[in-house]
Amino acid sequence: MKNSFFELTTEPLDVGATARRIVPETCGATVTLDGYVRRFTKERETLHLVYEAYQTMALLEMEKLIGQARAQFEIETVGIVHRLGRLEIGETSVVISVAAPHRRAAFEACEWLIKELKRTVPIWKKEFYKGGEVWIEGDSSGAPSS
Amino acid sequence: MKVRVLFFGATAEETGEREIELDLEDETQAGDAFQEIISAYPNLQKHSLLFAVNQEYANGDRTITDGDELAIFTAVSGG
Repeated sequence: MKNSFFELTTEPLDVGATARRIVPETCGATVTLDGYVRRFTKERETLHLVYEAYQTMALLEMEKLIGQARAQFEIETVGIVHRLGRLEIGETSVVISVAAPHRRAAFEACEWLIKELKRTVPIWKKEFYKGGEVWIEGDSSGAPSS
Repeated sequence: MKVRVLFFGATAEETGEREIELDLEDETQAGDAFQEIISAYPNLQKHSLLFAVNQEYANGDRTITDGDELAIFTAVSGG
């Protein structure tokens, strides 16, 4: 796993500090995704979100994703941190940092990781919006299977 | 045999439970176990559901054993 990390937390995320946890000497760049809460989705205005996780399984799935990413892309180290609980507009919900000897693989792996995290890791967001609240359900056409 | 069944997010709201204990016949397959749960909580069928056994996504033909941890939840929406 080479110093990769994968965590869940209820604390506010420090994107820069997370990215700087992985600066391997063999690498030349870290690409970091800062995923944060948007105010408008389709025509709905969000007031805040609440994230919940099946924590034990989420950590296992995150670990699997890191292993798959390292096998598929020429990257070295990955850090994934996802926040749970109540998040306000603009707050960071997920940080994915990928360090690689060359930046292209880091960009591609980071893109792949967020796409796969959103497909497979058992975390759910509940949206509180003007006029109601709803658990957001992912696209089941891409649902994971064992 | 006894297993635990966990619910999260929308499935926890539909069932009003976070965790239940289920008594199953020995050698029950995952698909049958999940069908039993859905019969007990038919509101679950409003959603597209995913199933896990011992923290892994489950195939319907996987055999359940005593003490297993099952989970039923809706398509994930992290990130």
